[in-house]
Amino acid sequence: MGVLTSLYRQRGLVAVLVARDLKARYRGTFLGYLWSLLNPLLLLAVYTAVFTFVIPARVPGAVPYPLFLFAGLLPWLFGSGTLLDAAVVLPDNGPLLKKVVCAPEVFPAVTVLSHLVHHLLALPVLLAATAVAAGFGLVRFPWTVVLLPFALLLWVVAAAGVSLAVAALAVHFRDLKDLLHNLLNLFFFATPIIYTLDMIPVRALRRVILANPVTPLIQVYRDVVLLGRVPSVLTWAWASAVALVCWVVGAWIFSRLRETIAETV
Amino acid sequence: MSAPSAVRLTGVSKRYPLLTRRGRLHSLKGALLRGDLWRLQQERDGFLALSGVDLEVRQGETAAVIGPNGSGKSTLLKLVAGILRPTQGRVEVNGRVTALIELGAGFHPEISGRDNAIVNGMMLGLSRAEILHRLPGIVEFSGIGDFIEQPVKTYSSGMYVRLGFSVAVAAQPDVLVVDEILAVGDEVFAHRCLDRIARLQRSGTAILLVSHDLGLVEKLAHHALYLRQGRPVLVGPAGAVVSRYRSDVASEEAGVQVASGNARRWGNGAVSLDGVEILDAGGRPVRLLSSGEAAAIRIAYTARVSQEDFVFGVSIHREDGSHVFGTNTELDGWRPARLAGVGEMVLEFPRLELTPGRYVVDAAVHSRAGLAYDYACEVTSFTVSAPVGWLGCYAPRHEWRPRGPAMLPPAG
Repeated sequence: MGVLTSLYRQRGLVAVLVARDLKARYRGTFLGYLWSLLNPLLLLAVYTAVFTFVIPARVPGAVPYPLFLFAGLLPWLFGSGTLLDAAVVLPDNGPLLKKVVCAPEVFPAVTVLSHLVHHLLALPVLLAATAVAAGFGLVRFPWTVVLLPFALLLWVVAAAGVSLAVAALAVHFRDLKDLLHNLLNLFFFATPIIYTLDMIPVRALRRVILANPVTPLIQVYRDVVLLGRVPSVLTWAWASAVALVCWVVGAWIFSRLRETIAETV
Repeated sequence: MSAPSAVRLTGVSKRYPLLTRRGRLHSLKGALLRGDLWRLQQERDGFLALSGVDLEVRQGETAAVIGPNGSGKSTLLKLVAGILRPTQGRVEVNGRVTALIELGAGFHPEISGRDNAIVNGMMLGLSRAEILHRLPGIVEFSGIGDFIEQPVKTYSSGMYVRLGFSVAVAAQPDVLVVDEILAVGDEVFAHRCLDRIARLQRSGTAILLVSHDLGLVEKLAHHALYLRQGRPVLVGPAGAVVSRYRSDVASEEAGVQVASGNARRWGNGAVSLDGVEILDAGGRPVRLLSSGEAAAIRIAYTARVSQEDFVFGVSIHREDGSHVFGTNTELDGWRPARLAGVGEMVLEFPRLELTPGRYVVDAAVHSRAGLAYDYACEVTSFTVSAPVGWLGCYAPRHEWRPRGPAMLPPAG
């Protein structure tokens, strides 16, 4: 595919731009990269407090609810954060596109990768919390975590595809950014992140949630990282299909609009 | 032999789609399903920014694009830089292009000058290692010093553009596209920029520049393209094209219609050039001259309206557009009171010190402000012969005198 070869040829530039994004993000802060670790840690602390003392929530099985929520929230934040940034990344880098010659596909790729780095920095918090819970005998440590790279790969492919489409379309249709906010909100609740499929009382509704393409991605991720289950072949296949379709459609939309980006941005 | 082509534009047109509020939403579906957005540019809707432009820049040559605001100069540069695609025609560029469209464009304010230099350099096609290798040179040239480690947001605007320029020229481009940026920085840095550009010219970089500084254009460029409302008015040697543009500006300021004429000859006709001839030492019209002998250029004129404000000018250049010599009566401090009727003006050269080759002559009579009465490009030409094929164009009288141990001619 054109986009992929172009990105491979410019991998050096992509790497440098990712480094630039990361450096710029914490420039001038006292704690620097520690924030990438601290942010999820504080989030986990708040959830634990709220869902243990304020609204005691449970999910079927032995897993503590805050951990369950956190394991779903991390990949979701990776995906939604990437898309929200992808919607503005091309206008933000307008000077580079218009005044310096630069391939536009570089920027959505940089967005995905720098969010991936943040995700990888937050991951130890989840793993450490799981290990602590395992230490207290609340859960068994999920050795399925060795499958996590595969689950993450699916997330990255899917996020990259949708990001390409969002980035290219947002150049022409600025409304997309606001639309995206609301869509992501809808999807957040339509995906089993704060609940499990078994908790849905209406069967028809369960079908809808199951048909949601984000559902298999979340399931694969949470199964391997927390629940210690190897997802069924069907779940893997369904999640891979979602990722692949996202990529193919996203890359197609992007290459369709590619030539118009520099002059419209 | 002329150098290989670095940039070639053939029948290039560029049309911008006009984006209306409704048009955008309307085309969301069409853009995706039918490729409307892409096709829109091929069609007749929209704003025609550039039309029917042909231009060739060879390696080591410098071409300038001049014209009033909104004439499509920047669009042309962006087409060459590869930022835009032509709606029609072909843009061929051989080698690495660096665009100096806005210096320091895309610097990220929060990260250091060094990191920004790396990012910009990689966009210009260098590898990370190459930039790190050239970084000391970049820092030295820009005069940024220790600030290179500081975030760019702490830079003064001068430091910003200096770093931008230094990175761009460090990339050693094959084609350099420059948009009105040489007026940056202080006097010292402006001189260093010009010096660097001259060095690039010598090393074979093809340069395409847009500037409103016509003096600079005459100084740097071999050829020029004069655009007006997206259409080429004149392509040719920089001196002649700049004169044409000056003349048009002067007529506009005087509230007169822009001078009529074709690509080779224009003017309002208040004074006309009836003939331009090359004379040899004996005063006979010739086309072949010997290097080092006396020669003259005779201009016959008719002043339809008597003039008090007039300048006669002559420019000699090579066929490739490089300027050899140019002067006018104003420059030489010759200030007659009045011009009327029919007459002749002769420019005499006691010794025509030119190397062998063909030379082309432009002659003009215009007002001191540049308003052309009659401007004739390539009105005549002559060929200089010499016993030896010297290089360059200046052929002063010269002799070799060995000093030191006597050199013997080789045996046999």
